[in-house]
Amino acid sequence: MNVHSDPSRASAVKNPASIDPITLEIIRQLLQSIPDEIETDLTRTAFSPLIYEYKDYAVGIVDVNGRLITQSRGGIPIFLANVLGLAVLDGIAIYGKEHIHPGDILITNHSGTMGQHLNNVVMYAPIFDPTDSKQIVAFMCVLEHWTDVGGRYVGSSASNDTTEIFQEGIQFRSVKLRSRGEPVAEMYRMIEYNTRFPEMVLGDVEAQYAGCLKGSNLFTDIARKFGTDITLRAITMMWKQSEAAARAAVRSIPDGVYRAEAFLDNDGVDLERRIECPVIVRIDGDQFIVDFSEISPEVRGPFNSGREGGGVTAARIAFKYLTTPDEQTNEGSFAPLTVILPDGKFLSAGATAAMARYSTPLATVIDTIIHAMATAVPDRVAAGHHASMGSHRFQGRLAPSGRLSTHLDTAHGGWGGSLGRDGAGPYKTLAHGDTLDVPVEVQEALYDLRVDAFGFRTDSAGPGQFRGGLGLDKAYIIRHPVNLTLTFERHGCPPWGLLGGQAGQPGYVEIERPKQGRKKYLKATDLPLNAGDRVFVHTGGGGGFGSPLARDIAAVSQDVQRGFVSIKAARADYGVVIDANGCVDHAASEAERQKRQA
Amino acid sequence: MLVIAIDTGGTFTDLAAFDLTTRRFVSTKSLTTYDNLANGAFDCLRKADISPADGVVFKHGTTLAINSLLQRMGARTALVATKGFRDLLEMARGNRPDPFDLFYRRHPPLIERDMRFEIAERMSAKGEADQAPDKAEVAKLASHLRSLDVESVAVAFLNSYVAPEHEEQVAQWLKEMLPGVFVTRSTELSREWYEYERTATAAANAYVGPQVAGYVRDLNHRLQKDGFEGRFFLMASNGGMLGVQNVLETPIALVESGPVGGSIGAATFAKRLGIQNAIAFDMGGTTAKCALVQDGRFDVKSVYHVGGYARGFPIRGAVIDIVEVGAGGGSIAWLDAQARLYVGPKSAGSMPGPVAYGRGGAEPTVTDANIVLGKVDPDGFLGGAMKLDAAAAARAIRERLAEPLGYGGHDGVLRIADGIVTIASVTMAGAIKRITLEKGLDPRDYTLFAFGGGGPLHACDIARQLAIPHVVIPPEPGNFSALGMLLANLRLDETVTFIRPVDDDALAASEQVFDELSERMAAALRQEIADTEVSFERYAEIRYRGQTHSVRTPLNGVKDPAGVRRRFEEVYRTRYGHADAKKAIEFVSLAVAAHGGMAGPALDTLQCQSGGTEPAFRRRSVYFGATNGAVETRVYRRNELPAGFAKEGPALIEEYGSTTAIGPQDRFSVGELGEIHIHLGRQQKSS
Repeated sequence: MNVHSDPSRASAVKNPASIDPITLEIIRQLLQSIPDEIETDLTRTAFSPLIYEYKDYAVGIVDVNGRLITQSRGGIPIFLANVLGLAVLDGIAIYGKEHIHPGDILITNHSGTMGQHLNNVVMYAPIFDPTDSKQIVAFMCVLEHWTDVGGRYVGSSASNDTTEIFQEGIQFRSVKLRSRGEPVAEMYRMIEYNTRFPEMVLGDVEAQYAGCLKGSNLFTDIARKFGTDITLRAITMMWKQSEAAARAAVRSIPDGVYRAEAFLDNDGVDLERRIECPVIVRIDGDQFIVDFSEISPEVRGPFNSGREGGGVTAARIAFKYLTTPDEQTNEGSFAPLTVILPDGKFLSAGATAAMARYSTPLATVIDTIIHAMATAVPDRVAAGHHASMGSHRFQGRLAPSGRLSTHLDTAHGGWGGSLGRDGAGPYKTLAHGDTLDVPVEVQEALYDLRVDAFGFRTDSAGPGQFRGGLGLDKAYIIRHPVNLTLTFERHGCPPWGLLGGQAGQPGYVEIERPKQGRKKYLKATDLPLNAGDRVFVHTGGGGGFGSPLARDIAAVSQDVQRGFVSIKAARADYGVVIDANGCVDHAASEAERQKRQA
Repeated sequence: MLVIAIDTGGTFTDLAAFDLTTRRFVSTKSLTTYDNLANGAFDCLRKADISPADGVVFKHGTTLAINSLLQRMGARTALVATKGFRDLLEMARGNRPDPFDLFYRRHPPLIERDMRFEIAERMSAKGEADQAPDKAEVAKLASHLRSLDVESVAVAFLNSYVAPEHEEQVAQWLKEMLPGVFVTRSTELSREWYEYERTATAAANAYVGPQVAGYVRDLNHRLQKDGFEGRFFLMASNGGMLGVQNVLETPIALVESGPVGGSIGAATFAKRLGIQNAIAFDMGGTTAKCALVQDGRFDVKSVYHVGGYARGFPIRGAVIDIVEVGAGGGSIAWLDAQARLYVGPKSAGSMPGPVAYGRGGAEPTVTDANIVLGKVDPDGFLGGAMKLDAAAAARAIRERLAEPLGYGGHDGVLRIADGIVTIASVTMAGAIKRITLEKGLDPRDYTLFAFGGGGPLHACDIARQLAIPHVVIPPEPGNFSALGMLLANLRLDETVTFIRPVDDDALAASEQVFDELSERMAAALRQEIADTEVSFERYAEIRYRGQTHSVRTPLNGVKDPAGVRRRFEEVYRTRYGHADAKKAIEFVSLAVAAHGGMAGPALDTLQCQSGGTEPAFRRRSVYFGATNGAVETRVYRRNELPAGFAKEGPALIEEYGSTTAIGPQDRFSVGELGEIHIHLGRQQKSS
């Protein structure tokens, strides 16, 4: 965290009682409702399903030093990075505060600043002090995933094999989209002619702009009502209190050095080389230190991320899961967290590294940090989850219009079992949030796909006293020529079990063409498919927690009854003998379990 | 010739009745009887000295359906799905609304996997029958279901929203093969796409079906035994009354019947008083609810989450658009480890209740704060039937909040008590903001219509937060739900998916759909009441091509595509602040609301004023915020205030079950229907 030297604010910190607790609480409620309100508008006005269904956006307010005041809860967790603050600081460094005027709107997606794929574009607007129109007090920020920003592949980030950021789209490094309220026509033209879907992207840009405008007004209303000084003092207190809450949570974890390891299959280019991600966590009083020193260096393929968008983001998300899941997020939330991450690693890659799939490794990194803490706080962790974005994208031209159509679907899979609870799911990954699956009826009506079956994948859950959640099977029949791009991960390092629990089954895809057998795939780019081909998507199950031999026999029997576990697996994994009628043979089961435990 | 309305709520069962010949109005309350809900209704009838034999219409609201779903107390239910899709109900949509909860999970599905079955059948997205269901396969399944002692079955097939024939056929066969078993199908509840939502709706309908049917038959039977020969209606979630036959088929329509009555009451009063824009605001013991009323109508929405959005499941169907927040009289004020002051959402409920109730509650609540401030009379609660311990309330606030926050003395207790009420008001104002600002509406253009036990006490504070200039407190605010039900009419809602660009052809086709729907719905209403006066509202969900979210656009009187576009852009611009004149638009669905009139009370018969032109008052010291401090305040009895009476604040107006608080800068007057109008004075700067 930057130490600020503004004397007026430093005095407020020293004298926190200068704001009464009731005014503080009211300002907190009002500030926190701003991003929530903007978020509702965004999800309703956006043109891209990535915004309104996938929730690939973030709304936040940062102060004039880039410090986070408040952030929306509904967007996906991956934006816990301080990308909003960094975007603003980069803009201030480029223009100078005195050249940012009321009515200006800036955008940036610069990979060297944010360290994420170029689709993630932050738009921000200065908010001026209502009593002093020359002073900027804060910035309203809205980040959206733009559907396409050019580059080699449709959608820009649907790549498995790009090797430079320049193959992944155009970069805007803090440029003005509006100047003193007037649209900068040149910039709009730049955007329009650098995207494959100008109508959708420009529609989303308008939604983003409306959010910046409305959020700025709502903040100004608060500053006007309570006074700018009181409002800023309240914000300082909010930071202090969140920091205190986070530090208290860290203090409840036993001191020590904890470690876990995992790896990703490959970077999509060097297919034989794994991406290693060992993680060391050191707890020291109220310090939570995540050390990524041993992870793989920057990779050639598009699975890199920058320091803030990658390593710091993953550490922050894991920190929230483990310590303060219910706290509102602001600058104070992560004060106890230190991230040790040398330059040039795949989570701290240089500005020119390929980053199209930057988010894919993060779910695994988060899971690994949680894994590391299993012995320290067994009641706060869960076994490994499927951790694969599992994106599968169908792209083709719809008859009879010939219109280019892309349909992106992603994997839902099982989450890990935990102390006292079977794993839940199907959900997307730990890096996702309130992301809604696309209904089959929509897929069939709008994208001319045909889904033949969609349901739980028997025996995919990792066995354990508390088993993992199940993965899914989904079967598509292709009805017109399409290209399929796949990114499945965590095949070699399936979702691990904890404390005697076993791993879940990894996810993968099979393709069956007429007169040929099924062929297995994990990553593929623009694979041509024809009418009549079938695609089987299998998503991963979560890992189990505790020994499966300790699982309640009645629970195993119920799983068999419900078809979550086969009769065969009940015996092989759990030592529970069940006959063809579904009746448990208790004597045989006891014998089987004793034999195994011996 | 009585119209009787009985509303069974969480704590109280309320009765309101109106004699169509003598034009006399009565109301009463008794405790809700959880072991047999119907008993509470009969307790009320006895208390009000009403014989069912005098009733021509009996209207009833009940929480039975929602309780059955929330407590998982429904029937032994099976689901029949398209082959390959039985898991839809459990997979849901894969979302996690609590982003950092590692242990997040939804409530378990209503129907577990071993009770979910599949039939080989398939409709395409265009409505082509790719595979017809086979009667032999259904017969085999039926005999299996019988062997499982299934009481209820939901049939929900993929793409049935386009072509429901397979669903209809299979449901029909199952009805024939399983006599005595409740059978429902998704498309009799919703003709919209999204298979999970439709399946969940069918499952919920089947789940509550046998229980609701049993309850309705039992209650009807008991009424008839007591000589009732009139017609029996239930309060539906869409704000209309529903006849018994409809309820027996679609019991899920009762799911949110509780808070509906108040909105109907507010709408009826607002219309009569010529108030175009009103916010119906209902504050009870644990939550506060608000709904928009425009031109005497309220909005309905088409998705409702049983058990909340975060962990519950959706049902499709018209449900009155109500926003609810966890702030009520019983909401607890507390400090977290960082000394942050919160009010709610945890509530002391009615047991143990606020500290002042003396039933073991130790944590200070909003009601305790109001007692400390002098706004609630500790000796006058429920007409003096229950004495409240004001000293204990003050002690709890001092020890648990004021002292830890560094506020000493009695003044400190008053400051914190005032803070508790203010924070609760901000939370409640937030609910009103949500329901207005999100639709692009400005709360300042609205009249706040406040009722429920706590609404009249907090209305001025909330209005001030939102710069709303005008507040109305209707008569009988503590019994307003039952009163509203007395005023309710028949109503049916239907929606069909209709994805077409907005052009001449589509408009002609939509006319046909609207006409068919209207004709069918009018017939259904006339089946309830033969000579009911029927009117229709037509709507369409319309969106820009490429967007998924649509806006509900009223279409009455629209003749051509340009007219549709104008209406759409109007609604869109209001809601989002901008509209695109060039982008193509398309229909998503067509909806009709059909209303049928019912006989009910005239509003001017509801006031029961008994005093003279200069009513008596007492005086009490009431704390109205740090700027005003404690102020000598006139305390009136509501039933002594004549129409036309007007005074400056500060004032309190007490009645059974509720107290109205009027601030020092405000003034009030009593209207012709006995309603209290409060005009807010200049806004005070806070703190």
